[in-house]
Amino acid sequence: MHDALRAKKVSSLELTNQALDKIARENPRLNAFITVTSDSARARAAAMDAELSRGLDRGPLHGIPIAYKDLVYTKGVRTTGGSKLFKDFVPDHDADIVVHLDHAGSVMVGKTGLHELAYGITSNNPHFGAIRNPWDTDRIPGGSSGGSGAAVAAGILALATGTDTGGSIRIPASFCGVTGLKPTFGLISKRGVMPLGWTMDHMGPITKTVRDTAVSFHAMTGMKDGYVPPPHADIRGLRIGLPLNYYFDHVDMEVAQSVRTAVQTAAALGARIVDIKVPDIDGLNVVGRVLLLAEASSVHRPNLHRRDEFGADVLTLLDQGRLIRGADYVDAQRLRRVYIRDFSKLWSQVDCIFTPTTPTPAPKIGQTTMKVGDGEEDVRLATTRFMRAINVLGIPALSIPSGFTKSGLPIGLQILGAPRAEDTLLKIGAAIEDATGAVNRHA
Amino acid sequence: MTDWKRTAAALDPPIPDADIEKLLPVMEALEASFRPLQASLTPEDDVWTGPEDFS
Repeated sequence: MHDALRAKKVSSLELTNQALDKIARENPRLNAFITVTSDSARARAAAMDAELSRGLDRGPLHGIPIAYKDLVYTKGVRTTGGSKLFKDFVPDHDADIVVHLDHAGSVMVGKTGLHELAYGITSNNPHFGAIRNPWDTDRIPGGSSGGSGAAVAAGILALATGTDTGGSIRIPASFCGVTGLKPTFGLISKRGVMPLGWTMDHMGPITKTVRDTAVSFHAMTGMKDGYVPPPHADIRGLRIGLPLNYYFDHVDMEVAQSVRTAVQTAAALGARIVDIKVPDIDGLNVVGRVLLLAEASSVHRPNLHRRDEFGADVLTLLDQGRLIRGADYVDAQRLRRVYIRDFSKLWSQVDCIFTPTTPTPAPKIGQTTMKVGDGEEDVRLATTRFMRAINVLGIPALSIPSGFTKSGLPIGLQILGAPRAEDTLLKIGAAIEDATGAVNRHA
Repeated sequence: MTDWKRTAAALDPPIPDADIEKLLPVMEALEASFRPLQASLTPEDDVWTGPEDFS
């Protein structure tokens, strides 16, 4: 798109109109958008075209249509958080990432739907309706950034933003067959984004390709540019950790096979595969649950007397959080430090770690339990099993499509790295993407 | 083990009785998982203080 804009083969206004047409066509089927900003988008696109005509080029996102998850403050544009409580809330200022992406020249076409208050993984929203997976509209797109995942998978946009507190970028990326990056904790500003858990929240991009993720990530941090993987990125000698424990223990067979195939692909490209044993991920997940339950209930404490205005699943979680004692929360933060120290020892052995993103492909809308391997599990706990711990650790995690099930559902590969090792993840992700071609399939 | 019903009743606003029952199995399971981890902490184990602790 960027090159076509520079070559004047297409204008930002044309791209924006195409995106708006796709929203009009696809949103009745997918329910991916809560708000569409057609008029302001066209005006902004025309302004970006005028800048390019004058020779002002803001970079690769100049004139590109994007959307924000509807918990990102957008000045003068309704920001609901997917909640009845905020259905008419209009911020008087932009979030930092909006400022950064505006500065990069992007064009906002709307606000994407989400799980209520970003507190869940289905995006089956009781106030704004269920968001549907473009690959199979009877299935969830994942959440909480479900609208962003669905919009990118359906080819409406190249970039939509997400937030990730326990997997909310990576789950939609996995279930929708797109790319999502949860960067190192704190690298992207959260100012102006409705919080869920202050010490667990991360901002990040959801895009079709790894290179689009790279460009978007740098723009979201406010940097003018940064590492974008070149064609045929060289991963020879990179050490990829393959966990011998936990990550392949209770996993759908097709998911496990797809991730192992990605490992073989990386090896064929010259990467070195290193068997590793990961620390106690179940323990990390428990710590993560204690932290998030307490923090989310603190975030929403001012509204807890309005019980009727919360969906049942979110209210249950908020009630659970109110029962966490202060000393237990502090001990969870102490355990977090212990786990971070233990996990960081792995980075002397490997440069990154491959795992499945989710243990299964997308479940059906309304499904509360599902079969995983040889057992039956709660959908929310199973889906976050490989991710919640990563938010506790704060390390970067990239989810890319590794393939598809026989029934045509996307499978996600999660690539983990050391703090601030985003460039390594982007490089290896691009190499896998180029080699597998999974990204070339469209919903 | 914690008496979750009593804890819930003491909250302001309280959690309605009808909603407490469905919380109990989850809270009991979470507590059973968390207490052994908590017991492993030593006085030297300080709290996590932010991104600087990642390195």
